Amino acid sequence: MTTDEVVGESSRGRRLGGHVVLGVLSLACVFPIYWLYATSLRAPQDVYSLSVLPWPLSTASYTEAFAKNDVLGMLFNTGVIAVLSALGQLLVALLAAYAFAAWRFPLQRLLYLMFVGTWLVPFQATMLPNYVLLSRLGLLETLAGVIVPTLCSALGVLLLREHLNSFPKELLDAARMDGRSSWSTLWTVVVPALRPALAALGILLAISAWNEYFWPAMVLQRSNAVVQLGLRSFMGTEGNDWGPLMATAGLACLPVFVLYLVLQRHIVNAFVRSGLK
Amino acid sequence: MVSGAFVEVAPPVRSREARAAGMPDTVPASPALWQRVRRIAPPYLYLLPAVVLLVVWTYQPLAQTFVLSTYSWNLVPSTPMVDVGLGNYERLLSTPELGRSVWRTVVVILGILPFTVGIPVAVALLTRRVRGRAQGVYRALVFAPMLVAPVAGAAVWQWLLDPSAGAVNRVLGTDVNWLNTAGTAQLSIIVITGWHVVGFAVLVVTAGLAGINPDYAAAAQVDGASRSQVTRWITLPLLSPTLAFLVLMTVLLSAQWTFPLIDTLTQGGPVGSTTNLYYLLWEYGFRSHDAGLAAAAGVLFFLGFIVVAALLTRLAERLSHHDD
Repeated sequence: MTTDEVVGESSRGRRLGGHVVLGVLSLACVFPIYWLYATSLRAPQDVYSLSVLPWPLSTASYTEAFAKNDVLGMLFNTGVIAVLSALGQLLVALLAAYAFAAWRFPLQRLLYLMFVGTWLVPFQATMLPNYVLLSRLGLLETLAGVIVPTLCSALGVLLLREHLNSFPKELLDAARMDGRSSWSTLWTVVVPALRPALAALGILLAISAWNEYFWPAMVLQRSNAVVQLGLRSFMGTEGNDWGPLMATAGLACLPVFVLYLVLQRHIVNAFVRSGLK
Repeated sequence: MVSGAFVEVAPPVRSREARAAGMPDTVPASPALWQRVRRIAPPYLYLLPAVVLLVVWTYQPLAQTFVLSTYSWNLVPSTPMVDVGLGNYERLLSTPELGRSVWRTVVVILGILPFTVGIPVAVALLTRRVRGRAQGVYRALVFAPMLVAPVAGAAVWQWLLDPSAGAVNRVLGTDVNWLNTAGTAQLSIIVITGWHVVGFAVLVVTAGLAGINPDYAAAAQVDGASRSQVTRWITLPLLSPTLAFLVLMTVLLSAQWTFPLIDTLTQGGPVGSTTNLYYLLWEYGFRSHDAGLAAAAGVLFFLGFIVVAALLTRLAERLSHHDD
């Protein structure tokens, strides 16, 4: 506010400039997404049209996409992976973060560094042994093989610990005085208070799991069980069948966008927070 | 099957607790010891699932990669592993592919940096005055590409960049085969990755700017500093931890970000022009089934990561002392 006063009348021009800059950037960001859905909704003979509005609208591309691939099955499998992986990561991270926040114990710092240290271990340095381990456990080409190795999210532990650190210790002490076990304190005191943070993190984890490509590609190999892989093989085999390809790609993004429309602010905040640490 | 795997994670805590709870009956001789165990055990029990998962899926495989890098093996369980000492490293370092892929990785990182640092800083500074509902709408729009699944993003860009029917060539009036020409393929990969992450970076910088105490700028302006001086000498230095974080993220993750695009759009081609280190590793391991070579490359990748991260963290620490 004070800077506004100092700058005086030029702030209006600057605000307009700001709108122009953001408007151009927004357009550049959204145009490919718009074009994806626009193409998918054109009638088959209009797919090559450059008109901005897809008119007349047609669902022929979607019908064809469903006929060529088991799109619903892929979406369902991907959904199962996203939900189970997010819930599992939330639970594991919640327990670990609770330990870090509610107790002081030997080796705490070392154990904490173990989580931070995962940032330094690139995926590509562990993928071969993980692949061998999965094949030994018989989990290759199963959805469980996609989910289990991702269940410990260091990001989740760090974020939840941060939330829990700002949680009033008196409440934990009061619960202990009441003779509650730490387990019941966790579920009756901590979790209700942490619900918004858990929801935001859960959505973030579910979206990441939904969009994950590398790990499923490795575990599921050439099968098309999840939508990202189905899309890949569609691109490979019917590369120029743009209408159905865009329809499949559109469906692959749709659940995330619907979630985004409903919970927009929370999702953006969760992502940005995860980036800021 | 899937849910079974999921439930598998929780029980260690409970079962250990239950076992611990049963212990007084089995070890009545030393109640004091039991009391102590009971007092110090809880945090470790809560950490157990996470730590077990970390060890099994991150640290133990990392150690195995070091071991594997000294063997020759083709990933088939029935074939024996042959100890070759440092042979894989010699082989790796003597292939010209490695040097080229490292160079391409550097090019990709440098190419993505404008999208994760340059553009976001400029945009965030220029748009500080835009507030309220309009800001919310812009946020929602620029962030959207981050949510597009990488393969779906690859699909739509393949369509936009199609040499004959794509919108880009028809609007520009050119007939460039963007994804199948050595120079433009790399450029396309960089731009598509940039498109994915630019909105996210803008929001991170905006949040970083919002966290800066406005009193500094106000005081400087009272002292007669111009707007550009305030930006150069106050805002940017205070923003530097955020910027260091974005640089670190770009360096560590760019190979990961580009992987789905390369795998679906160019497969490392044409003539290897988009094969970066990450993709090379993938090819060694899963195309040539040369586990030893891939592991050796993975070890070098890991060591490179550590060096880069240490340098950038030190830099960030030095810079962040501004706001004392």
